[in-house]
Amino acid sequence: MTERRAARIGVVCALVVILAQLIVASAWSLGHDDPTELALTRQCLEREKGLAVETTNDPIAASASGGALATVVEGNAVTIGVARSEAEVERLRSAYSASGDPGTRLDLHGRYVALWHRDPSPTQRQVTYDCAY
Amino acid sequence: MLIAEGALLAWNAWHYDWLRGYDAFANEQYADVVSREYRLPSVGESGVWHTPPLWFALAGTLGRLTTVLGLGHAQRPGQLLAAAAGLVTCILVFLLARVLFPERRVLHLVSLVLVAASPALVRASAMYHPETLAVALATGGVLVAARALRTRWTLGSAVAAGALLGLACLTRAWAVPVLVAVLVVAGLNAWDTRRWAPFAACGAVSLALLAPWLVNQELAHGSALAFNRPPPSGSMLDRRPASFYLGPRSLRALEHPVTPLFRNELVPHLYADWWGDWALTWDSPPPPAPAALLPAGIVSERARQAFIGVLPSLLALAGLIALGLLSGARRSASLALLPLSAVGVVTAYVVFAVRYPSTDGDTIKATYLLMALPAAALGAAFVIDALRPRGRVWATAGVVALGALVAVQLPFLIL
Repeated sequence: MTERRAARIGVVCALVVILAQLIVASAWSLGHDDPTELALTRQCLEREKGLAVETTNDPIAASASGGALATVVEGNAVTIGVARSEAEVERLRSAYSASGDPGTRLDLHGRYVALWHRDPSPTQRQVTYDCAY
Repeated sequence: MLIAEGALLAWNAWHYDWLRGYDAFANEQYADVVSREYRLPSVGESGVWHTPPLWFALAGTLGRLTTVLGLGHAQRPGQLLAAAAGLVTCILVFLLARVLFPERRVLHLVSLVLVAASPALVRASAMYHPETLAVALATGGVLVAARALRTRWTLGSAVAAGALLGLACLTRAWAVPVLVAVLVVAGLNAWDTRRWAPFAACGAVSLALLAPWLVNQELAHGSALAFNRPPPSGSMLDRRPASFYLGPRSLRALEHPVTPLFRNELVPHLYADWWGDWALTWDSPPPPAPAALLPAGIVSERARQAFIGVLPSLLALAGLIALGLLSGARRSASLALLPLSAVGVVTAYVVFAVRYPSTDGDTIKATYLLMALPAAALGAAFVIDALRPRGRVWATAGVVALGALVAVQLPFLIL
C-alpha cells in the first residue's frame, strides 16, 4: 500500500465518520427545538412557583427579541422581556424611561428586563430571579 | 518557532490565574501535603487524591523553594513546569516525526506547527496541573521506543522507554494506555525477532515504577484505578443517555461552543473544549450566573476557534486511520505505535466518561485527551504531506495556510 493510497482511504473514512455525525445532528435538530429562555422561564414560573403566566400587551416588552410574558407575583403584576444583547437591554430600559423614570419598578437582571406594577419586595424579585435562565 | 512557542507558554503561565485551572485548589492541597509531609494526601485532604504524585511532588517542592526565596506565589513554578513540559512535548513530536519519517521536512514542520498551535495544549500548559508533564514523559517514551523499533532494541533503550513511560504513568493515569500500546508493539516485535530481553526490560522498569502506586491505591482505596467518587451502580450501558453518544447538538458547536450548551454530549462538548474553551476557564470571566450576559466577543472568539478546528480535526482522524492501515500493510511496528496509543487513550477516555457520569460535565475535558495529541498531529501532518501537490507554488500556499492557522488563533492563544 502506498502512502498516498493510505492517506486517501483515511480521508474518506474520516469524512464518513464526520458526515454520519452531522446527519445525526441534523436529523435531531429538524425534529427538536431547544426550549428558549422564555419557555424555560414560563415553565419555571408555572410549575415551580405555581403562577399563572400570560402573554403581555406591553408593546415595549413585546418588542424584546427573546419574547415577553406577564404574571402576578404575591399580588404585584410584572411584565418580563428577554433581551439577546446588552444593547437590547439598554434599548428596553430607555424605552421604559422615556415616559418618566420608573425607579425601582424597572428591574434589570442580565438579559431579563422586568417592569413591576408597584415597587417589588425582595421576595417578589427573587421569584423572577429564580426563574431566569 | 520553538523559541516563540516557549515565549508564548511562559507568558501564559505567568499571566494565567492559577486558581482558574482545573482542580487548582485540590492540586495545591495535594502538592502541599506531598512536599511538606512526604506522604500522599487522604481523601479528605485533596479532591484529586486519586492522581499519581510525581507532578505534585515536583510542583510542591519548587513552590516551597519559591516561597522561601520570596520569588512570588507558590503555584507559579508548577505553572512554569507545565509550560516547560508543553514546550518539551512540541520538541519531542518534532523529533518523533524525524524518526518515523526521515527526510520529510514538510511533515516535520507541519507536525510541529499543529502541536504548538493546539489550543488544548496551550491552555493546559498555563494551568497548575500535571497533564502536560505526563504528555511530555509519555511522548519521550514513545520516541525512544520508536527509534529502537526502527533500528534495534537495546537494553538501554528499553530501560529508557520503560522509565519514561513509568514516570508518565506516575504523573497521570492517562499514560497507562500509551504504556500498554508500547508494550503490545514491543511484544509483537519481540515475537518476530525472538529477542525478548528488551521487551521484558521495558515492562519490568515501567512496572517497577508504577506498581507501588497501584498497590497503594488498591490497599488504601479498594481499586488500583480508584477515582474521587464511586461509580453509580447498575449497568455501564445505562449510565449515559443516547445524547451522550450521538451528540444531537453537534451543529451548534460551530455557533455557540460554550457552557452550558451540549453539556455531556461527548463529541460536541469535547470538540468545543479542544479547539476553544467550553467551560470558560480561559481569558474570560467565569461562567455567567443565570440570566447574565456573556461579554461581547467571548462566544464569537470561541466560535471562530471551533470553525478553524474543522479541517485539522478531519486530517487528524484521517491520519490516524491512514497510519493504522500503513503500519498493518508494511508490518511497521514503529508506525503502529501512533494509532495504537491514540486508540488506547480514546478508548480509556470514553470508558472513564461513561463510568463516571456527571451532571456538570466535568468528566468531559479536552485536556484528558492530550495524550493522543502527538499521534493526532503526526497523523494530520502525514496526510498533508502524502496528498499535497508537489511544486514551489503549492509549497508556498502550504506555508501561507499554516501561517494563517497560527495567526488566526493567536488572539485566543495569547493571554
